Amino acid sequence: MRQQYQWRSVVLIVFFALLGLSILVQIVRIQTSEQANDFRDIADLYSGYYRTFYPARGDIYDRDGHLLAGNRTVYEVGVNLRDIKNPETIALTVSVTLGMNYDNTLASLKNPPMNTNTIPPQPLVYLVLKDFVTPENAEYLKEVKQNLDDNYTPGGDSLAGLEFKPRLARSYPEKSIAANMLGFVNFEGRGYFGVEEKYNDLLAGVPVRMWVPSNPNRVEEIPVIPSGASLVLTIDREVQLAVEDILDRSVASTGSVSGTIIVMHPQTGEILAMASTPQLDLNQFWQYGQVYNNAMEFNRGISQIYEPGSIYKVFTLAAALDSGAVNANSSYLDIGYYSLGGAAIYNWDQGAWGPQNLVGCMQHSLNVCMSWLADTMGPETFYTYMRRFGIGHPTGTDMSGEAAGRLKVPGDADWHLVDLATNSFGQGVAVTPIQMLMAASSIANEGKMVLPHVVRSIVSNGRQNDSSVQVIGTPISAQSARLTTEILATALENGESLGLVPGYRIAGKTGTAQIPAPNGLYLSDQINASFIGWGPVDDPQFMVFVWLEKPQSEDWASLVAAPVFKEVVERMVVLLDIPPDAIRSQLNGQ
Amino acid sequence: MTTVNRLYRAVLTPKLPPRVERLARIYREAPQYKQRLWVALFLLAVVSIAMVSALYLNLTASAAIAGRQIQYLELEIETQQRVNADLQLQLASLLSVETMERRAYALGFRPVERDMLEYMVVPGYVGPQRLRLTSGQPAPAAPGIPPEFNQSLLDWLNLQIRAAASN
Repeated sequence: MRQQYQWRSVVLIVFFALLGLSILVQIVRIQTSEQANDFRDIADLYSGYYRTFYPARGDIYDRDGHLLAGNRTVYEVGVNLRDIKNPETIALTVSVTLGMNYDNTLASLKNPPMNTNTIPPQPLVYLVLKDFVTPENAEYLKEVKQNLDDNYTPGGDSLAGLEFKPRLARSYPEKSIAANMLGFVNFEGRGYFGVEEKYNDLLAGVPVRMWVPSNPNRVEEIPVIPSGASLVLTIDREVQLAVEDILDRSVASTGSVSGTIIVMHPQTGEILAMASTPQLDLNQFWQYGQVYNNAMEFNRGISQIYEPGSIYKVFTLAAALDSGAVNANSSYLDIGYYSLGGAAIYNWDQGAWGPQNLVGCMQHSLNVCMSWLADTMGPETFYTYMRRFGIGHPTGTDMSGEAAGRLKVPGDADWHLVDLATNSFGQGVAVTPIQMLMAASSIANEGKMVLPHVVRSIVSNGRQNDSSVQVIGTPISAQSARLTTEILATALENGESLGLVPGYRIAGKTGTAQIPAPNGLYLSDQINASFIGWGPVDDPQFMVFVWLEKPQSEDWASLVAAPVFKEVVERMVVLLDIPPDAIRSQLNGQ
Repeated sequence: MTTVNRLYRAVLTPKLPPRVERLARIYREAPQYKQRLWVALFLLAVVSIAMVSALYLNLTASAAIAGRQIQYLELEIETQQRVNADLQLQLASLLSVETMERRAYALGFRPVERDMLEYMVVPGYVGPQRLRLTSGQPAPAAPGIPPEFNQSLLDWLNLQIRAAASN
């Protein structure tokens, strides 16, 4: 009996020993086989996944801390095709809730497209139905899915397989306000235009890609991913709203094709407001193609070049004074034309204005006088000053899409001596509005030309870095700048300009520029109306540039653009708390 | 003499009274004695392995639970960040310049005109200062996951041995 049990025991022991041994052999064999690497790869597929952690895009604020660009939750709604129970239910629900095409959705669910990233291509496992779904719609779909799951019967309605992936996307609480300078962020998270493009890398931050193990024992610490840098802009949203409101009304009332207004602090280069038409609701950036014909229309203030016309005379006058070609007491006898380079230059009214001092030249905006100034300086001196003013070069402002403009100079194939005369009053030269502001800042700011900019501070990793005034150069002396300003202010006062604002002494210049046709001739019935001005003259706090393209109501900038300038200044002195000159003197004296 | 017997003899005191020594020898030479001894040693080994396994299982389970909690907390952090962003945006929308202007009009306010303003000197008044969005201090780093939450028992033992060796 004992022998019998002993035999059985031996058999069992041998059996289990062989079984264990065979398992061990099999383990070793599999791990050393040719397919071992394949098995490891398959195992790795299920042990976790690589995930890219995108930092939240940095916010953008106005100078007072009002949020201009933030982030909001959106959902990517997709389908895990392996878990689908009823594709018809999914197609019907998303078509009703998300406005998708039922037939196309159903076809995609039943015959999913191939994943071309695999070799050979294999059917997709996960199919994105719609992105940027609002939280309200996503919550509704989740609720419907839950209800159907609770009451599911085989073959019945089901949203099984429907998945929701939340993430942050760009949003603009002020909608279209400051849209031209902000730019937008597209579906892929890349900034386009304005500061969104210029500072895209800073705003977007640095994504981190890391392995996320499924095994909780192997959980890895997700590194702290700092949000993208936030920007504080120089703009004041109240001023911006007022400027946009005035611009929209002005464009409509004058029948202009478009308009641009920029407000800058001439001593710091801080842009307080920048508006151009049309404006886009940045929350619906995909309508860009319907609003704009080309990229330069997005922000005409930096991207669109044009012939400035008479406002350019400001620089000719400043250059002539600074170079010593003329002085404050110089006068000129206007006989109605000026010959240079084999061509005759005439005034805007074809008239002869007789003896004129520099104030008269500017007050009556005499082309003949400007041609005389340029000719007196000579090409070398004139163009040296124009280059110092930055004409024909990008200013380097911190918005994306800036155009360079064009300044023909002696030596260029298309430059002729007559260009010296025409350039002196703003014809044959192409500039951007931001160039005009930067150049004019030197006249308003004691000769110091400052860089126009919109970013006031960059906040990153808990630190705030403030921008400082960047003086680009000193194209003219302080004395010449003061004299030029005085002449311009007196010219406005003597001419009883519609741009004058009671209580504030202002310097400025109108510009009525004919528009060149493709054949090189100027159109007789279309103009660009501009005005650039600054004040208060003794301590400039604002510089305003107005440009209305092809206004239909009047033929002269003095009647079209100057009143817009006045309206902007009247609103701005209230919003920026700039007292009238007399009161300011009293306050300063106390 | 078997190893077990040698071990037994080494454990028991060899200097026993003759009567006890005799009884002990009879006991050692009893047929069931060796089997019981083997069974006892086997059970001892099983219990020891079971205890270590239980300890290891406990630690592994704790680590797994902690790992899951970490994953959950990471998801919760992401959720809270989205909620914060949504609330910030909602607040900004409620305070947007157009909304505020509309509300001001509805309350009967009107924009002040230039000639309606009166200026006065307010002693000690300091105008608007540059906006500060930070305290000037860098953001504190998030605390890391202690090694206890992601190291195995063997890792822990290895660490302790190394620590002891280095001391």
